[in-house]
Amino acid sequence: MTRPLTVVSLLPELLDTNGDASNARVLAQRARWAGHGASVVPVTAGEALPAAVDAVVLGSGVDADFEAARGALLPLAETLREWVSAGVPVLAVGTGWELLSWGVELADGHVIEGLGVIPGRAVRSPARLTGDLVVSSRFGRLIGFENHARYYVGAEGSPLGRTVSGTGNGSGIEGVIVGSVIGTHMHGPVLARNPALGDHILTVALGRDGRSYARGGRSAEVDEIAKAARNQIAVRLGLATE
Amino acid sequence: MRYAPAILIGRVVRRVARWRKPGGGSAIPGLIVNRIAPGFLASTLNSFPEGLVIVTGSSGKSTTTKMLVAVLRANGKKVFTNPSTANISQGLTSALLEQADLTGRIPGDLAVLEMDEGHGALVAATLRPRVVALTNVMVDQIDRFHDSQMVAAMLGRIASRATQAVVINADDEYLSRLAGTLAPAIQVERYGVTAEVLAENPRGLGYAQTSSRRLVSGEGIVVTQVNGRHAELELPEGRATVELPARGTHYAVDAATALATARAVLGDAFDLQSAVKAVSAIPPVFGRGEIATVQGKRVEFVLVQNPASFQLNVDSLEPDTEQVLVAVGSDVRDPSYFWPVDTSGIGRVLIASGSKAHDIALQLAYDDVTVERIEPDLGLALDDFLALPDPARGLKTIIFSADSMRRTRAHLGLATNSEELA
Ligand SMILES: [Zn+2]
Repeated sequence: MTRPLTVVSLLPELLDTNGDASNARVLAQRARWAGHGASVVPVTAGEALPAAVDAVVLGSGVDADFEAARGALLPLAETLREWVSAGVPVLAVGTGWELLSWGVELADGHVIEGLGVIPGRAVRSPARLTGDLVVSSRFGRLIGFENHARYYVGAEGSPLGRTVSGTGNGSGIEGVIVGSVIGTHMHGPVLARNPALGDHILTVALGRDGRSYARGGRSAEVDEIAKAARNQIAVRLGLATE
Repeated sequence: MRYAPAILIGRVVRRVARWRKPGGGSAIPGLIVNRIAPGFLASTLNSFPEGLVIVTGSSGKSTTTKMLVAVLRANGKKVFTNPSTANISQGLTSALLEQADLTGRIPGDLAVLEMDEGHGALVAATLRPRVVALTNVMVDQIDRFHDSQMVAAMLGRIASRATQAVVINADDEYLSRLAGTLAPAIQVERYGVTAEVLAENPRGLGYAQTSSRRLVSGEGIVVTQVNGRHAELELPEGRATVELPARGTHYAVDAATALATARAVLGDAFDLQSAVKAVSAIPPVFGRGEIATVQGKRVEFVLVQNPASFQLNVDSLEPDTEQVLVAVGSDVRDPSYFWPVDTSGIGRVLIASGSKAHDIALQLAYDDVTVERIEPDLGLALDDFLALPDPARGLKTIIFSADSMRRTRAHLGLATNSEELA
């Protein structure tokens, strides 16, 4: 009997404004549907990290909690860096992604240093960017929702994909992939809506243990619902359907 | 007679607007009067002999206002109040125009107004409310990008205008902190729930931040028990059993808010028995746990307006409810918003519907809820759902977002909510 897949959801009390923490639940469900044991371990501020970890999810929070979230992550930074060097997949959404960067420029112009786990920084955009975000990526076309007031610079060499609709990082690209870390502005259950991205993370996570991942039957059914939801947005935006 | 010309113009515009679009155009006369006589709103609201009462906060305003008005009227007061849909400035001015005489005055002893925090903060500087009742600070869909501190600051601006008392939800940390910033002469009235009642809501009551400490009896009005549509309250006057307009702790808290506010307004004239009777007589609200008979079938309607109310409603669903329809419409711009909710307690959904049918079905699927059918056409979904024979267990239950509620009501030809009637 192998160890169940452990997905760490970091600071869900501070970083789940848009339901991004649900991506941990999505990874665990898809792993279970593929026949693997899986559990989500929420780690709130001040709590210890579990000894074994297979994937990490960080979500987005409100700017008022920015300092608190940063303060809570700082003591974990060293371990996070070790995990990243060891190839543990990390999905970081919105604020959670920005916190892993070199630094973040807040609305008042004040710059907060990030954890420096990945290159690049978040800078103020002239206006809030809210709406559907469509990205062409090596995982296929990804569709999500963005709502942020910052661009991201320094990810030009390693984006998640090119923007087809929406703003993303602000330079025709969206997100970042550095090693096993994926950062994106697509908030909420991005992995449920775009299961190809979720399955990539599961393949990496299980592969580190020499285990293989094959999409389960239940996932295939549920992925049809996700496809219908994506197509609905594609139609609204005048894009081709899948 | 300073406002007479503006009032007359407003009335003519109102008539024209109604003639062009029956039942509509209600905000336009207000818009015009606000333009030509900007002082009208404040001057009229400040002119009631027994003052102005403002009910504000993130949620629970409508029910609380309705309960409070009922208590005051039961006490013999003549009360002016605003329909809940008219809490934007123009709508409110239009509502005032309906009743004002040419001097700009409205007959009545006092006014009780429901205000959203944004609008309230804008007009607060011109108002002198006697009592301000604050419900809670929640992060709702429209306001989730504004942080809770901003909402609390807006509520603080409204509360700072009170001349006699501010009524505070002691379980809400933001409001408790706010109470400490008021002028010393202002009386602070508190209400809250016991640790036991809070514990029955394992995910809390949806407040942005819940206080670590509970009220003890003597410090204010305490909700000591919630059992379906019955709540036990402890007041300085004694214990009381209140009948709620729908199941759920939040309605019991609304009742406590209304009673605490009525005590502040009425002083020695407050009568517990008559107050409890008035609150208990509030009719069930459509879409908030109301049970209605539609096409010969008994149906329970449950409105979810934000993640907190969605969670509370899922948690208070009768176990093993056999027939559930969930409809989420275009008002939920980004369905990510609902994903913090754990929907697994629903168990099985017969139809997921509304323009966001696939999105809500996706969430339900990840929570291990069986979704039998996805039917974005709400009319079709409703017809098929109602045509099913009565369930063996539980009531036919329709859980919907506000937009789907409006469409459901239109499709089924159901009467509008009394609260939405002007
Ligand atoms: Zn706002």
